Amino acid sequence: MRPIPDMSYNRLHILLFLAPIFIIVLLLYGMIAWTMAVSMDNWVGMAPVWKFNGLQNYVTLFRMERFWGSLRNNLTWMVAFIIPSAMLGLVLAYGLVLSGRAESLFRPLFLYPLALSFVVTGTLWAWMYDPEAGVINNILKSIGLGSLSQPWIASPRQATFCLIGAAIWQYTGFAMTLYLAAIRDIPGEIFEAAKVDGASDMQIFRHVVVPNVTQATMVTIAMMTIFSLKVFDLVWVITFGGPGTSTEVLGFFMFVATYRQQFVGLGAAISVIILILAAAVVVPYAWWSMKKLQT
Amino acid sequence: MKRLLTLLAIAAVLASSLVACAPVPQVIEKEVVVTATPVPVVVEKELTVYHWWTAGGEKQAMDVIFKHFRAANPDIKIVDNPLAGGGGITLKTVMQGMLAAKMPPDTFQSLSGSELKMYVDGAYLDPVDDVWAANNLDTNYPAVINKMVTFNGKKYGIPMNAHRANWLFYNVPLFKELGLEPPTNVDELIAVAKAIKEARPEVSPIGLGSRDKWTAIFLFDVVLLSEGGPDVYEQFYTGQLDVETDPVIRAAMEKYKALIPYLYPYHGAKIWSDIPGPLGEGQIGMMVIGDFAAAQLVQAGYVEGTDWEAVGFPQEPEEVFLMIVDTFTRPVGIKHPEANTAWLNNLADPDTQAEFNIIKGSIAIHKDVPDSNYPDDLHQRASAAFKGKRIVPASAHGALAPQNFLSDWQDILTRFLYTGDVDAALSQTALVMTSYDVAGQSEWYWAK
Repeated sequence: MRPIPDMSYNRLHILLFLAPIFIIVLLLYGMIAWTMAVSMDNWVGMAPVWKFNGLQNYVTLFRMERFWGSLRNNLTWMVAFIIPSAMLGLVLAYGLVLSGRAESLFRPLFLYPLALSFVVTGTLWAWMYDPEAGVINNILKSIGLGSLSQPWIASPRQATFCLIGAAIWQYTGFAMTLYLAAIRDIPGEIFEAAKVDGASDMQIFRHVVVPNVTQATMVTIAMMTIFSLKVFDLVWVITFGGPGTSTEVLGFFMFVATYRQQFVGLGAAISVIILILAAAVVVPYAWWSMKKLQT
Repeated sequence: MKRLLTLLAIAAVLASSLVACAPVPQVIEKEVVVTATPVPVVVEKELTVYHWWTAGGEKQAMDVIFKHFRAANPDIKIVDNPLAGGGGITLKTVMQGMLAAKMPPDTFQSLSGSELKMYVDGAYLDPVDDVWAANNLDTNYPAVINKMVTFNGKKYGIPMNAHRANWLFYNVPLFKELGLEPPTNVDELIAVAKAIKEARPEVSPIGLGSRDKWTAIFLFDVVLLSEGGPDVYEQFYTGQLDVETDPVIRAAMEKYKALIPYLYPYHGAKIWSDIPGPLGEGQIGMMVIGDFAAAQLVQAGYVEGTDWEAVGFPQEPEEVFLMIVDTFTRPVGIKHPEANTAWLNNLADPDTQAEFNIIKGSIAIHKDVPDSNYPDDLHQRASAAFKGKRIVPASAHGALAPQNFLSDWQDILTRFLYTGDVDAALSQTALVMTSYDVAGQSEWYWAK
């Protein structure tokens, strides 16, 4: 074995390899700092205006009905998207484990939607939700359930839930994969012991699987919360925030304020609020997983 | 010392990696050997164009402009950058970044009026008075176009085509079957819609695709023109009226509300281009939209005069030409100013406009292009209306009203189509008009 060269040469190597990380971190956090600075400026119009106005943009936002409407929709997303996707993911994962060899056939099938871009998903679901030509209402009609057909994305009350439906379709495979790994991590003896005791598959699911996948649930919820907070593409493609403003979310509002209305300071303030909300989820999660790692 | 050298080495690597990330200018340099010394480096002539004409017919129309440009300027290479997105929504976003980064293209597309003003206010555009004067556009273009590119006494864009926004398209067999005449004002529109609904309940009397929210503005605009005429229209969109108390605006909103029961019920799920097809089929009776819908109908095989027809709307109290104008600009700090001038001159040329507009589905604004230039009846009539009727800048897309107001305005209108709450719509509109200072932003329109 060759002797290790002197230390300074080694340190240079380390620094060179770390340089890209420094650059990325610098750029990323630099951008965040820049956005925060813009959010405290009265930048209206195309060209940068550096006119400090403290927290005025935030005050304006909090007084806007539109801001609260968008935030409410983000919260709806969190509840109506995360819970069903996580539950479906867990059930599917356990189903795959039970299905034995068929798993290799079904797993890619459920994962496939995740590989699609949101624009493709959005376009497909916009077609499917079409009240007249859409496949959903037409299937309902063809099986004699025409009375159950709905206006879907044409209704301000239903549209947000339609968007969430598309997201569930796309993200269930993601939750399923995480749960599949978690179930595989459960020691085989526990399953065998349960079987010896005569537990049914349902009982094993309830008493063995569910209590042992807490970590996967935490990861799933954290990731999906962040997705719910920054969702934009599906809204843009399927409803464009409509009917009216009924499906607007913070990300969409931010884009409109910044690029359509040229209220750049206000748009930056919305971005910062999205960041704070995401941090409120990520920081406790990171803290929890660090603690878990230590124990 | 060794440590210092190490640090220097790292700094050098970092710097070189940053340089590698920096955008490389798209200038192709070529050395030309001449007899005199020193040897100059000549920048090859090039023109970078950003525009949003990417749809089927639009791209072919742009090729016509390129063809004429190349014929007159064989030494200039065109670098074409089309950005999809109706009304230039994507282009505006991209431009905002490029212009702030001081990397302007040699020219880019905008709409005349308040949208163009946005770039002027950002100090991103240089005046084009030289091209304007060289082509004698004060005489060759209508006065209102002059107004829509003039800010602080200077011209900032060269327009070359106009779309008419106030057409009422209708299904001919349906109208014949029911013995209906095309309406001339909003009261007649409501009456005709009612007649269609009573006689043929399965037909939607008025088509709309409000997933494109601006279509709600198109429909409101003709209602406002019918109720108040062009003067009130211009005053409303430039913030001259007290919206909450003005009786004409309230009446227009009430009439707009009266149209709701006759609208295609699922308009929130459709975009504008979903509507012409069913209109040609007779599942939808009428539609208020720009002349661009004609191209859709023709492409789908529906024959003008037999399957569908279009009339300027409203005709009472006064028929106007509600106009959207496409324009090209001269950004500040461009690399190829000569190519820009050549480009703008080409756009102002009546021959280029004549051929381009046939394919684009709009009409030329140069007065030397005759009505007979267009093969179809609709555009011949549009051209005649452009020359004979009063021209009013359309609000939608940002020709007249400021962009920030329009964005909220289309939201107010699309929400209204579901609530029908006149008081709420008027108070929201008044609030937005005051807080965005629409009157102040629109001073350019009233400047002498």
